[in-house]
Formats: sequence, C-alpha cells, structure tokens
Amino acid sequence: MTGEEIIAKVKSSLPDAIQDTALPHGDAVVFVAPDCLQKLAAFLKDDPSLKFDYLSDVSGVDYLIEEREPRFEAVYLLYSIDHSHSIRVRVGIDEENPSVPTVSEIWKGALYPEQELFDMFGFHIAGHPKMERLIMPKEWVGHPLRKDYPLTTEPITFSYNRDFKSELVKSKSPNQE
Amino acid sequence: MSVTEQGLLERDKDTMTLNMGPQHPSTHGVFRVILEMDGEVVKTAEPEIGYLHTGIEKNSENKRYLHVIPMTDRLDYLNPPGNNLAFCLATEKLLGVEIPPRAQALRVIMCELARIASHLVWLGTHALDIGAMTVFLYCWREREMILDLNEEISGVRMMTSYIRVGGVAKDATRRWLDGICDFIDYFPAKVDEYGALLTKNPIWMDRTQGIGVFSKEEAINWSLSGPALRASGVNWDIRKSRPYSGYEKYDFEVPIHDGGDIYDRYRVRVEEMRQSLEIIDQAVRDLPAGDYKTPDNKVSLPPRETLHTSMEALIHHFKLVSEGISVPKGETYVPIEGPRGEVGFYIVSDGTNVPYRVKLRAPSFMAIPGMCQMMTGCYIADVVGIIGSIDIVMGEVDR
Repeated sequence: MTGEEIIAKVKSSLPDAIQDTALPHGDAVVFVAPDCLQKLAAFLKDDPSLKFDYLSDVSGVDYLIEEREPRFEAVYLLYSIDHSHSIRVRVGIDEENPSVPTVSEIWKGALYPEQELFDMFGFHIAGHPKMERLIMPKEWVGHPLRKDYPLTTEPITFSYNRDFKSELVKSKSPNQE
Repeated sequence: MSVTEQGLLERDKDTMTLNMGPQHPSTHGVFRVILEMDGEVVKTAEPEIGYLHTGIEKNSENKRYLHVIPMTDRLDYLNPPGNNLAFCLATEKLLGVEIPPRAQALRVIMCELARIASHLVWLGTHALDIGAMTVFLYCWREREMILDLNEEISGVRMMTSYIRVGGVAKDATRRWLDGICDFIDYFPAKVDEYGALLTKNPIWMDRTQGIGVFSKEEAINWSLSGPALRASGVNWDIRKSRPYSGYEKYDFEVPIHDGGDIYDRYRVRVEEMRQSLEIIDQAVRDLPAGDYKTPDNKVSLPPRETLHTSMEALIHHFKLVSEGISVPKGETYVPIEGPRGEVGFYIVSDGTNVPYRVKLRAPSFMAIPGMCQMMTGCYIADVVGIIGSIDIVMGEVDR
C-alpha cells in the first residue's frame, strides 16, 4: 500500500482516534492522543491489509525550543514484513503528566525502547513491567535528551595535579556550555 | 538491593545468581547479564547495559550535519560506512538531493566490504567463544585486507567517514579498484576454508544446532532483524524490500534458513559474505563514470581547483565550511540493511544547520531483550554461543 492508501484506511476505520495525518516525502504519519494509542496499535497489527507486525523503533522528541503544545512526542516506527509498507505513529505527550501507555504487549520489541524513553525523556510508560533507568546509572538525576538538560562537560572529581585540574575547568570550550 | 550487594551466592534459595560481564571476553564489549541459575539451567537472564554510553544522540543535537558523520562511525564500529549511509540517506531525503550513479556504486561497494569485514569479525570471535581458535586467525587475516582497502580510499582503516551528504569523500583510485579485484579472486576460496573447518564439524554442530531457537513469529515480535531474523525463516532484507543506493540494479540472493538456531545464523552469515562479494563484483565491473558527489554546491564542496577561478565556488566553499548545510524543516526515517540488521536514522530538522533530534535505530539494541528471552531454559554453556550468534556491538547499544 502507498502512504495515501494507508492513511485513508486508518482514517476510515478509526475516525475518532486519529487527530491528524501527514504525508512527508510519501511516508504515512498519523497523530494520536496517548489514550487512543493502544487501540490504534492493536488495529494496525491485526488488520489483515495493514498487518504492521514489526516494530522498528520508538523514539522520543522534545519540542521545547519550538514551543509546541504538547511539549513531548513519542514516535513509533512500524513496518509490515508481508506488505513492505511502513507508518509512523506520533503521540503528543503533555508536559505536566508525561504518560503514555505501553505497546509492549502488542510488540515485545517495544520493551527496551520504551524503557529508554523513561530514562532519556522521563515519560511514564503506563503498564510497562520495568520502569527504571536503562542506559544511565541508576542514581542519575534528570533526563539527558530533554532540551532543557544542558550539554556540559563532566566536573572533574579527582586529579593528581591541582593546577592541571583548575586549568581544565577554565578551558571549557564555549560551545559546550 | 543490587546483585553485588546481595552476594553472588545466596544459600537460602534453590537458585544461584550468576553475574556475567561486563568484562567477560565473550560478551563482545561491555554487556552484562545477570543469570538466575537452577543448576546448569538458566531460569532468567536479566540484561544490563549502558557501560559504553557516550551521549552521541545528545551530542548530535549540538553539531552540524557534517560533524555528526564521524560520530556515526563510532556507533556500530564494525560497520562505519553503513552508519554513515543511513545518516546521509535520511539527510538527503530531507534535502531532496539526487546522488550521482558513481557515488551510489561507491557507497554500495564500501557498505558490502564493511559487511564482509563485520561478518569476519563475528565469525572469528564467535568461533573463538565456542572453542575453535583457528578460524579466528584466518578471519583476521582476510579482514586485514579489507582494512587496507579502507585505508587506500579514505586514509583510515576503521572509522572511514567516507560516505558524506551528497556523495562520497573521494573518488575511487586505480589501486583501490585493483585491490578489490584481487580480493574478489582471493576471498571465495577462503570462505570455503571456513566452511571446511566448521560446517560439518561435529563439535561445532553439537554446540550450535537446536540451541537458542526462535520461531518466525517470536523473532518478528521481539524485533530481531537482519541475519538473526532470516535464520528464523523470515524473508526480509531491506536491500530487496526497499532498495536504496541502487541495490535494485544488482543481482544477488538473500540467504534464508528456517531452523532459527545458532547454526542457521552461522550459515546465513557465511552465505551473505558470498552474496556481498557478488554485489561488489558487479558494482566494480560496471562502475559508472561521472561525479562522485552531487554537483549541487549548496550540499557538497566545489572542486578545489575552481576556488582560484570562480567567485561563486569560493562563496559556496566559505558558506559550507563556516555554516554547513541548512536542512529544510521536517522529519524522516530511512532504514538500511546493515550487517546486524535494520540500521536507520530518525532525524527531525528545524530548518537550521544543526539537527534538532537524531535517533539511531540500532539492531543490536533492539535484539537484546529477545536474546535474553532465548537464553531462558538453556544451559549456561550455551549462553556464550547465543550472545555470539546475535552479534551485538555495544557501541550502538549504548550510543
């Protein structure tokens, strides 16, 4: 199916779940609210003409700088191995209550990327069996891929040479502040 | 309470908690898995990652598009051209640039050479893990030739950064093409040699057949990709299903086996090496003449010699070096077939010269939960074989 056909099919089957659609560079993109995500996901996987049986990835985006409302977005990249077509599902996530239901019951492959969303963006994945840090250390504070999390050098905690240490701190390059 | 606090052995339980890694030689990097053992049998396997996290995705949001390319080399360090290509294809899709046929063929040659080199590393280390030392030495010998070819064309042996937005970094040299022709003549006999050492070897077969089995449905549901998926009988190769960089022009087969065990993953990869050689052979033989990068000077640097004669070239050169490429607003995802499976970049651009968000779809990262699922119920001796058969690279897992 082409992108247009996929969008038409999804729109006609679940008219009240789909908020918006787009067709950038011919890729099918649908926008849904978090509470409709599981319904849409189950439909996309089970419908025989769509059959999105493969979850490529789940990605998060923080639109803080673009001042978009809602601030966050989770992007689900789906693919159908039998039909060789793909779709992107974009879910807007509120800043106050960054919560999105899990799709790991539908695609087991979502377990890891969803846990990464929690780690890197601080989304609460409702129904996910393991809501803890994945890549960052367990005691880490903050969510690194948020846009308000600065990219800085790590403070030097130990050095044999005191002068060397203070020099290093001073010579921080300006674009890393 | 962490596992280390708990102590490795708890006497009031029937099971034993066993820590494997992150410094274990057969975990291929810094992968740690905590095994709950019932005697010799693994009851649960809990993966632990993040030891190699370098924040490449965060860094990419603060660097220009061209500066991201060297960092993509370091993600899957056994497949630098593939990562470069995935990133460049996504950027080019947003830019809407046409790539000349010669550049596409050079990209294909580089990617297929990297696939062979990556499979050689995999075969050598995987066989070494299971106990076949000789294969490791042979594989390293052949990989060395590919690294020499990399050095000839890009000046670097491993982190080539050869594929750039708009084309490739340099044109092919005569010596490089001759070296590839020599390699094409030399290599098939060597693949037969590996096969002679392993394929019918009873110890190898005992250690690999029927172990770590994943059915077709399980493999799809757990998001395995690449050779691991094709060993479970799924006919899916992105080079065939959504051809990019002119893969539709080449005549090659996609090896598929349906056992879903370690042995079939081995067979798929060895056959893939032969098919990659086929593709390289066709690409070198019919290497199109013409530009090795797009003539669009808003994307790629103008030729050096024109800088002294053309004002416009000088301006383009200055703007590209000082400011970089400005990519139109939008978001896109482009997958390619890497040695480990689907590699793709999801790029969000806000219209500036710095990407707003760069997300790597890493096949090794997605395969880890499925791999640990495979381990449950198998013997501890097979854990090493299962990790090796999935071929994880921690650089792209932790990013």
